[in-house]
Amino acid sequence: MLLVLSAEHRAHLGCLPRAGGAAVGELGRLALEQLRRGAAPRACEAAARKLNIDVDTIQHGVEGLAYLLTESSKLMISEIDFQDSIHVLGFSDELNKSLLQLYLDNRKEIRSILGELAPRLPSYHSLEWRLDVQLASRSLRQQIKPAVTMKLHLNQNEDQTAQVLQTDPATLLHLIQQLEQALGEMKTNHCRRIVRNMK
Amino acid sequence: QRFRFCGDLDCPDWVLAEISTLAKISSVKLKLICAQVLRDLLGEAMEYEKILKLTSDAKLESGDVKATIAVLSFILSSAAKHNVDSESLSSELQQLGLPKEHASGLCRSYEEKQSSLQDSLRACSLRLSQLGSVCWRVDYTLSSSELQEVNEPLVHLTFNVRDRDCGKTTAVSMTLSSDKFRVLLAELKQAQTLMNTLL
Repeated sequence: MLLVLSAEHRAHLGCLPRAGGAAVGELGRLALEQLRRGAAPRACEAAARKLNIDVDTIQHGVEGLAYLLTESSKLMISEIDFQDSIHVLGFSDELNKSLLQLYLDNRKEIRSILGELAPRLPSYHSLEWRLDVQLASRSLRQQIKPAVTMKLHLNQNEDQTAQVLQTDPATLLHLIQQLEQALGEMKTNHCRRIVRNMK
Repeated sequence: QRFRFCGDLDCPDWVLAEISTLAKISSVKLKLICAQVLRDLLGEAMEYEKILKLTSDAKLESGDVKATIAVLSFILSSAAKHNVDSESLSSELQQLGLPKEHASGLCRSYEEKQSSLQDSLRACSLRLSQLGSVCWRVDYTLSSSELQEVNEPLVHLTFNVRDRDCGKTTAVSMTLSSDKFRVLLAELKQAQTLMNTLL
């Protein structure tokens, strides 16, 4: 699969051949730091001063590199496809080779960063429970009514919420039975076949 | 194989694996580490540097030190949870492979603090809300826009309810006439009598 680079993207990456070999390494490092930690304008200014190039050009170059790397890693394109995609930029062979090396070295890490950006549903954190017996109420004395009170703690993107639930023992047994059935589904032939094919 | 201190279930694999780490520490030092872990379980500050010093002879890595603290926390709190006496705990730990002196040292520390541990676990059991305090004020209404001579007593009640999770206190206020207040008081006294019969 080939990457199609827009005209603007190509213009941003156009500063790379002017910067020279060592600078490309520096810009690559800045692009990776931006992916890991977010934009760092001061680092770009320092690089601009060292390489004696305009700050905006450096900024665009870093962003262009970061975008090139994320798109390539996202689509998991092969070496040949990557080389063909950047061929259109008309860079020297040496520059193409360093870009390819940059892609291959960091592909795994970029993919794991991208993996964390997917939206998440609330996930289980913990469950507190309590077993009570109601003996009397305002309207009726001499009762025996067992109840299980639960507090379900959920995690959603570092947000902690809690849900309070109450049930009688019969419903609780039914709930446990349903959950065990759900777990049991993993052992059926259908699920086993799919899991085997995924591995 | 069922263990009482695990709630009549199998012993978790990770606990079994860490028993051998515990055996590497001398039994005297293990008893001191237990004392520190008990402090943490009872809500006081645990002195991690002391634990590091005590484990330095056994040449444990930092991961092993944390595993030691985790497994001791589990054993002590789980034994307290299921109300296991210290002799049964000692014999069960020896069945898992913990040397006799280590097991008896651990169980002696456990025995000293068993009831405080159970009290502390009782206190942090699931509780939906907690009454912090009650404030009241009795007024006498002389007159109002509807009626010139009212002449009635009035009670203002404020219940300060504490939420355990976020520690916030909400004030629930209400105003009652003397008849309503008498009914409320009678009902609450009946509930109190019922509670006293259970104690």
